[in-house]
Amino acid sequence: MRYTWVLGQRALREALRTPEALLPTLFIPIFFLVVNLGQAGKIFPSSKTDFLHGQNYAAFQLPSSMLLAASFGTAALFLVEDIEGGYFDKLRSSPVPRTALVLGRLVAEVVKGLGIATVLVLLALPFGIHLASGFGGFVLLILLTAMWAVVYVGFMQLIALKTRSAAATNSGGLIFFPLLFLTPNFVPRHLLTHPMEIAATFNPVTYVMEALRSLILDDFVWGRILGGFGVVAALGVIMVFLNLRMIRHYD
Amino acid sequence: MPNSNDLDALGRQTERVLSSPPGTEAGQAAVEARGLVKHYRSREGVVEAVRGVDLRVEAGEVFGFLGPNGAGKSTTVRMLTTLLSITTGSATVAGIDVAAHPDAARLRMGVALQEAGLDPRQTGRELLELQARLFGMKPDDAAARAQQLLELVDLTDAADRRIKGYSGGMKRRLDLASALVHEPEVLFLDEPTTGLDPASRLVVWDEVRRINGRGTTVFLTTQYLEEADQLCDRIAIIDDGRIVREGTPSELKTELQRRLALDTEPTLDDVFLDATGRTRERVAGVVREVGA
Repeated sequence: MRYTWVLGQRALREALRTPEALLPTLFIPIFFLVVNLGQAGKIFPSSKTDFLHGQNYAAFQLPSSMLLAASFGTAALFLVEDIEGGYFDKLRSSPVPRTALVLGRLVAEVVKGLGIATVLVLLALPFGIHLASGFGGFVLLILLTAMWAVVYVGFMQLIALKTRSAAATNSGGLIFFPLLFLTPNFVPRHLLTHPMEIAATFNPVTYVMEALRSLILDDFVWGRILGGFGVVAALGVIMVFLNLRMIRHYD
Repeated sequence: MPNSNDLDALGRQTERVLSSPPGTEAGQAAVEARGLVKHYRSREGVVEAVRGVDLRVEAGEVFGFLGPNGAGKSTTVRMLTTLLSITTGSATVAGIDVAAHPDAARLRMGVALQEAGLDPRQTGRELLELQARLFGMKPDDAAARAQQLLELVDLTDAADRRIKGYSGGMKRRLDLASALVHEPEVLFLDEPTTGLDPASRLVVWDEVRRINGRGTTVFLTTQYLEEADQLCDRIAIIDDGRIVREGTPSELKTELQRRLALDTEPTLDDVFLDATGRTRERVAGVVREVGA
């Protein structure tokens, strides 16, 4: 664990020293929040829209922006840079457990995800959003977002380790967009067309989004919250397992 | 210039090597490979990159490993340094089987690969401290060791600058320093001067001599025959995945002179061309084709 944290610190330093990679993870989600609010805010006024629970449409859209912010996967692109530049071999030539080489970046992603989610919530407050679940809900909100960031970076690290190509890793990361649009992104699941509802039901991102949304719009609805955490935990275990398997067979 | 701390540290290193550290018995080879084979699967089928390499490097030697591009030099080094799996055969470094006990072997070897593998976003000091931490040092010890090494490779002035601003020669020296954080018994250098200007190349040569002078065995791959002639006690030439010549530079030259009944002593270039079946005309032709 000591080596994982040492490598995690280095990954955090790397992220902080690359603001040009960090800032879009805040700017683009806020941009989508503004655009979506501008396009659909009048269609769903808070006074006449039951699913908003008295808040404005920005509160409904915030989970999409948070998931987008957590799905940039820049850590995996840094990993490809390490591989292409030869530094990954330098790390591999040290006697640290192979697991630390991939877990270090995932641990850093937790810290980075918590920070990005916190800043994003703070940036969203001027849109008139408040968290119905209070401070406890805020903690769960940023924790769930950070856990999703780990899942997604874990997925992109698999592509990075397999292909060792920045282009392939970047392209693989774009899979988030179809996943995002197959969720109850603009309206609750029961208002989707039947085929879309079926697609959203099979999409794990739906449950994470619904958990985040419930923490913003409702008081604690544990069924939804645990559903989101359960999905992220299951995917997290799968991603960590696959990453460890990949690094142990890395040649 | 190295200060007294450096010399103390290096003195300890020398003492350790000379007194045969745990796991290394007197007379044991620093590097030994037996029937080393590496096959890759590719779209065209199985590629036989290394086809049965046997070699033995004695403790304290500078061993040169030469060969044309694609001959199997880097693949062999990557197998010896635990970075690549071995298809068949076996290899030991400092008496430790690299396939069976890779972590133990990593503790005894330093590795500086073909392109200086450095993180451009860290400073030189941070990189060395991190490397030292990965070899098990505590933060304070890692900081002290980094300072020693920065002084040793004359990078103290640039220590707190990001590596992306370093020149090619500075990167090479830092890479060398990072391979020395744990005072390895065997240092692998894969083409350490490729791409460097002549002045930087001479600086790296001096570093290699200095490191070897303190007792570290150096396993060096290079495409520059003059470099091998200047630095190496013994050399092996690999071609098409097999060792085709092995000996001291002077032994190899004498053997060629005798075999071809030459009036003048051949150069290492002649030995290389003879060993790899190439001719000056053929090589020149290849160069002309590239130039066109």
